[in-house]
Amino acid sequence: MAARSTFIPIASSAWPGNRVMYEFMAWLQASALGHAMRESGVWTYGVVNLTHILGVASLFGAVLVLDLRLLGVWRNIALATIAEPTVPVAATGFLIALTSGVCLLATKATEYVGNPFLYIKFPAIGLGLLNVLALNFLSGWKARKTRELSSHERLQLSVAGGISLVCWLTAITAGRMIGYW
Amino acid sequence: MRSPFSLGIGVAILALSVSASPALAHHGWSGNLDEEFQISGTVESGVSLAGPHATMKIRAEGQIWDLTLAPPPRTQAAGLKEGVIPVGATVTIHGHRNRDPKRFEIKTERVTWNGRTFNVYPDRK
Repeated sequence: MAARSTFIPIASSAWPGNRVMYEFMAWLQASALGHAMRESGVWTYGVVNLTHILGVASLFGAVLVLDLRLLGVWRNIALATIAEPTVPVAATGFLIALTSGVCLLATKATEYVGNPFLYIKFPAIGLGLLNVLALNFLSGWKARKTRELSSHERLQLSVAGGISLVCWLTAITAGRMIGYW
Repeated sequence: MRSPFSLGIGVAILALSVSASPALAHHGWSGNLDEEFQISGTVESGVSLAGPHATMKIRAEGQIWDLTLAPPPRTQAAGLKEGVIPVGATVTIHGHRNRDPKRFEIKTERVTWNGRTFNVYPDRK
């Protein structure tokens, strides 16, 4: 892009990683996806943004219900019963949000280099995914369909639920703030 | 205690997530000064109708200024399409400057070029 030179000072001013980040963003912006996002009509960004919001809404709506159950709310409903609809809705929402999010980013990717909220959002998403991975190894999660859980297992699950809520709320909050920087 | 507590958590979380709502309103005007700002310069890079807001860049007073226009559909509706104003043309910009004096960014309401005024925010004075 012709405007490139004006972004380089932003990229180099903060920390050396920004240089790498800038290279990646420049590549993403110059990709076929970036071109498609910029050159396929004035409503494209808005529609993709809508998709992103629907993905995030599905992800967080489902995660909120599941995490509150993990934290001990609605104990009269079996965890397995709540997990059955919430896990696939959350996973599908995440994939929709991820795909549409990459499209939004590709539109003018280099402009986000140095945006502090980006450096909060992406680690929060990473931690959220690691937490999902960890949850899947917890005995309480694996045994949710087959037996009563011990109090220790319930405590482990509630910690995972709490971490999850913090991660996704942080990711969403930082994501929303990106546009206000 | 459990049900009021859980209700409290639920409401707090919902309030937090709802406060993080719509999309196209992006940026808002609060990051820019209230006073009207006008500047003339030459087009450095032409109108782009991509992204949450249309943008262009001008060179004025020895600086490159980032112009944040209306969202793309609205900017296009004002007649300000890509390629209409050629690079290098002299334009006058009316809008609101970024509150940070080190940031040369203008939330742009009107662009005047060659006797034509493109009013991308006709409901703002």
